[in-house]
Amino acid sequence: MTVIETRGLSRTFESRVRPRGFAASLKSIVKPEKRIVNAVRGIDLEVEAGEVLAFLGPNGAGKSTTIKMLTGILHPSGGTARVLGLDPARDRMKLAMGIGTVFGQKSQLWYHLPASDSFRLLGAVYEIDDATLARRTGELVERFALAPYLETPIRKLSLGERVRCEIAASLLHKPRILFLDEPTIGLDVVAKREVRVLLDELRREDGVTIFLTSHDIGDIEKVCKRAIIIHHGTVVVDESMKELKHRALKRKRVGVKWAGPADSSLPGLEPLKHTEDAAKYEVDTTKHRLEDVIKVLADRGEIVDLTVEDEPLEDIIAAIFASRSEEEAHVAAGARA
Amino acid sequence: MSRPALALRKYSVIASVAIREKFAYLASSTARYLTYGLFVFVFSRIWAAVYAGQASIAGYDRVMSTWYFIVAELPIFSFSAFFARVSEELKNGQIVYRLARPYGFIPASFAERVGPALLDLAVFGAVGFALGFALVGPPPVPAGLAFAVVPALVVSLVLSACLQFFLQMSLAMTAFRLEENDAFYWIYQKLALVVGTLIPIEFLPDAARAIARWTPFPAIAWSPARILVAFEPRAALSILGVQAAWVLAAALLSSAVFAAGRRHVVVNGG
Repeated sequence: MTVIETRGLSRTFESRVRPRGFAASLKSIVKPEKRIVNAVRGIDLEVEAGEVLAFLGPNGAGKSTTIKMLTGILHPSGGTARVLGLDPARDRMKLAMGIGTVFGQKSQLWYHLPASDSFRLLGAVYEIDDATLARRTGELVERFALAPYLETPIRKLSLGERVRCEIAASLLHKPRILFLDEPTIGLDVVAKREVRVLLDELRREDGVTIFLTSHDIGDIEKVCKRAIIIHHGTVVVDESMKELKHRALKRKRVGVKWAGPADSSLPGLEPLKHTEDAAKYEVDTTKHRLEDVIKVLADRGEIVDLTVEDEPLEDIIAAIFASRSEEEAHVAAGARA
Repeated sequence: MSRPALALRKYSVIASVAIREKFAYLASSTARYLTYGLFVFVFSRIWAAVYAGQASIAGYDRVMSTWYFIVAELPIFSFSAFFARVSEELKNGQIVYRLARPYGFIPASFAERVGPALLDLAVFGAVGFALGFALVGPPPVPAGLAFAVVPALVVSLVLSACLQFFLQMSLAMTAFRLEENDAFYWIYQKLALVVGTLIPIEFLPDAARAIARWTPFPAIAWSPARILVAFEPRAALSILGVQAAWVLAAALLSSAVFAAGRRHVVVNGG
């Protein structure tokens, strides 16, 4: 069952250009100069119930804008969106009953009050009766291990504890889709791991559809089954995590250390870095057989150490992120396919 | 529980949680309560000097003018933060959580802002009335009508809170379209002060008074103050009726501003 569907979804923003100089400033009062920013440009998406999706992109790619359109916060400038069969912009309040949201850079909890008060408030907001709310709160307190700090004012919690409370708060009404916008931002490795485990549990046990944006590749690798990369407001990659990881398998990092000085230049293969007795290469296995490369390296001298690693997923994504235009992003994505 | 009851419950719970938070930090408002007390004291001295050579100005004697100031300042001190808070919420992007919830943006903001403001009003009122009794004695309420003055005054102050909320909300929501909207509030604040807060509108020249009566500003401070210092049942009902009409108009205005601005919400930076 499709729970999210968009066709040509787009959003433009208008901003005033601040002129330089006194005369230009005066002129701008009468005739302001405006700049149109195409934050999202014609995104087509289909997400099935129970999918766990990583929505990736560099800063300013349009991730948050897309999430905000899918949750009814922002109105699209063009195209259509259906979430749980509803038009988010038109049926915002009805849709809110079926979705949960966590914005990592904002808080939905009352800063000076304990999480229990925020839960009580959200229970009323989502029209949950007292008995159901008590049961649901109990379940979430247990699953997220919130008992030790449920009655502590939010301002006194660590960031990791607060994020656990934020995610628990977003699940009180048993949403069918959970939108998470950079939920692990600022967390230490332990807290990040805890959040990932919780999200994975939600997927496995409750079948919640998870729509996750994150800059943390660990979040994506551990939690998600599908990756969509957007850049310059358009989708440049949409494939399963398996496929994305398979790209990494096609490129190997080969490191070699010889017993003494050796010639590190190989035909058709430039070393990424080298010293007189060591070198590191990136080998595209669709062009060079790994076995042949290792044989040539062995011919250059006695090998004392040899390492073969997959290309980090982060590098693949970084290459796409680094592109300066939509065309370049497509080329970067294609080149690594 | 029926749907309307559930809907009503959500707003009452929002108000009660907001009041709880306000209680937690009531002491942080001490400076504001002291400032109000200082204002009342200073103005009581000013009125004492003004009335040294005359018994009455435009029908107000010294006691009336002092009590007028005490009550007229209550809505200004208690209900002035709506604009800043809502405007800030729109500018810093916190609005995302409000728009992602199954409630009305304006009713939820109303419950969250007006609830704690009424608690503030109770504290300011206690300070003001204690000072008023100490400085000029009891307010000039006609004998036997105190039972009617108190509810009329309370209703008038609550209507004033509602009016201030919807007017300030309308101004704050211009942030949907404008990068900078503080100037609107600055003008609003100054007009509210001049038209019925610092002095009764009866003190204004005829032409200014005639114009002022067609604006919502007398319904903010003049109405509750007038009810206390010159209580007359039919006049009080008329004053409350006019206040209620302004509240309705301001509520419609805020809904229209929200509907017009909603499509232009911009939330940058995650």
